[in-house]
Parts: sequence; structure tokens; C-alpha cells
Amino acid sequence: MAAHHKKAQQLARQLFKLSLVNGTVSAGQVAGALAYVEKHRPANPVLVLKNYQRLIARELAKSRALVDHAGPVAESILASIAGAFSQKYKRIITVSARHDARLIAGLRIRIGDDVYESSIASQLATLSAV
Amino acid sequence: MNLLLAAADSTDKLHALQSQFGIEGKYLLMQIISFSILAFVLYRFFFKPVLVTVEERNQKISDGLRHAEEMQAKLAIAQQESAQVVKSAQVEASKIVEDARKTAKEFLDRQMQDATQRASDALVKAQHAIELEHRKMLAEARTEIARLVVVTAERVLAKQLSESDRAAYNQAAACELTVV
Repeated sequence: MAAHHKKAQQLARQLFKLSLVNGTVSAGQVAGALAYVEKHRPANPVLVLKNYQRLIARELAKSRALVDHAGPVAESILASIAGAFSQKYKRIITVSARHDARLIAGLRIRIGDDVYESSIASQLATLSAV
Repeated sequence: MNLLLAAADSTDKLHALQSQFGIEGKYLLMQIISFSILAFVLYRFFFKPVLVTVEERNQKISDGLRHAEEMQAKLAIAQQESAQVVKSAQVEASKIVEDARKTAKEFLDRQMQDATQRASDALVKAQHAIELEHRKMLAEARTEIARLVVVTAERVLAKQLSESDRAAYNQAAACELTVV
């Protein structure tokens, strides 16, 4: 059982590597990978596809910045955030905004596992922790 | 002449007296010899052994007296020695008693010092515990006050901040985060 899982993970990892073009996920490559799975029917195809989906989702999350905010945020600010983090991570970062009143005022940006925050709520939390 | 006459007269009287009392010279000599033989026999076989026995008994008595004197001297020496031993024992006993008193006093002093030290340690520990409890209470009070201040500030800011204020804060936050 463990050997089947390991083989499925290896195949999913290989498919994931083939899905990247210049460090970003390519829709055409993903379609080709899926066609390969459909055509050759590897052992445990569901497990392979689950692992492949997890890897693709994690990679896409690295290229997406989720901006939580309280109060209005101008489009220009979101664009500047996208530009700055694209430059920082050396890949194209897309931005999606979401309102969160708990911040009181300010921004919280999540890119993959990284979190950047500058908000009144975080500053008050820091103050209460001290 | 008178003297001669008187001597002749007395010799006559002596002869007359001897004849009157029946004293014969030869009988007298025989009696003297027989008495001498008797005296010799008595001395040789009776008085001499008795004298030897008496001498031995005197020797034994003198030995006994000398022995008694020696025993008395020894007894005196023994009494003196026993008195010395008793005196030494009394001195030793006094020393032991004194040592025991000294040891008891030292033990008592040490016990008192230990008790005092323990009491002092307990007091220090209690003071330390009180100090820790005081600090803990202050820290808890400080934390609670800070929490209340933060909660109050959150509520006040959530109500008081206008949209323009939030927008300005968001812009400043974006500048800060994009610089990072």
C-alpha cells in the first residue's frame, strides 16, 4: 500500500514538473498531463490526480496574493502590490481582495505560506502581547 | 690461841651435829651423783626437746607477726592504691560528666542554630513566595489591563475611524508592505 502511494506521488511530481513553463503553471501543459493520465491509466489514477492537484494548487497559491483589508482599497494600490511582489518573488503575482472588518484598518497579504500584515488589529495584538 | 680453841670447838660441834642428824659423807656423795645423773637425763631427754619446741613456736609466732605486719603493710598499700583508683575514677567520672554536659550544650546550641537557620530559611522562602506572588499578580493585572485597553481601543477605533481614515491607513500599509 505504501509502495503504491509512493509511486503515485512520484508520478504526480513528474507530471507537475512537466506542467511548469518558465517556473509558472501552464494551462496547456496541465491539459497534456491530464490527457496522459487519461490515456495511459496508471495504477491508482485517483491518487495520482489528487497529488497532482495538490501540487498545482500550491504552486498557483504561490502566484496569487490574497489581500484582506478593512476599509476601501484603491485598484492602484492592488496593482502596486501585485507589481511589488511579482518583483520580489520573480514571478507574476495576481491579486485578489477580500474585506475583513476584524483588521479595523490596514492590509494582510497572503502569498502561499507567507503572510505580510500591517493593520491596526495586528498592532494592538502586538501591544497586548508585550 | 682463843681462835684455835674456838675452831676446835666448832669442829666438834659439827661432828656432833652430823652424827646427831645421821649425815654420812658417802651417802651424801652418792645422792649428789644420782641427782646429777637424773638432772642430765632430764635435761637431755625432756628439757631440750621442750626448749626446741618452744623455740620453734616462738619462731612461728615471730614469722606470723612478721607476716601480719607485711599483710598490714600490703593492706595499707592496697588501700592507698584503691583510694588512688577511686580518686582517679572520680576524676574520670567528673571529666566524663563534664564532657557529657559540654556535648549536650553543644548539641543544644547546634539544634538551636539549626532551628534558627530553618526558621530563617522558611521566612526567606515565604518572603520570596510572597514576592513572586506579588509579581505574578502585577503581571496578570498588567496583562488584563492591557487586554482591556486593547479591546477598548479596538472598539473605539472600529467606531470612530472613517472610511477616508481607513483608506489612508490602507495606502500607508500598502506602501509599508511593498517596501518589504
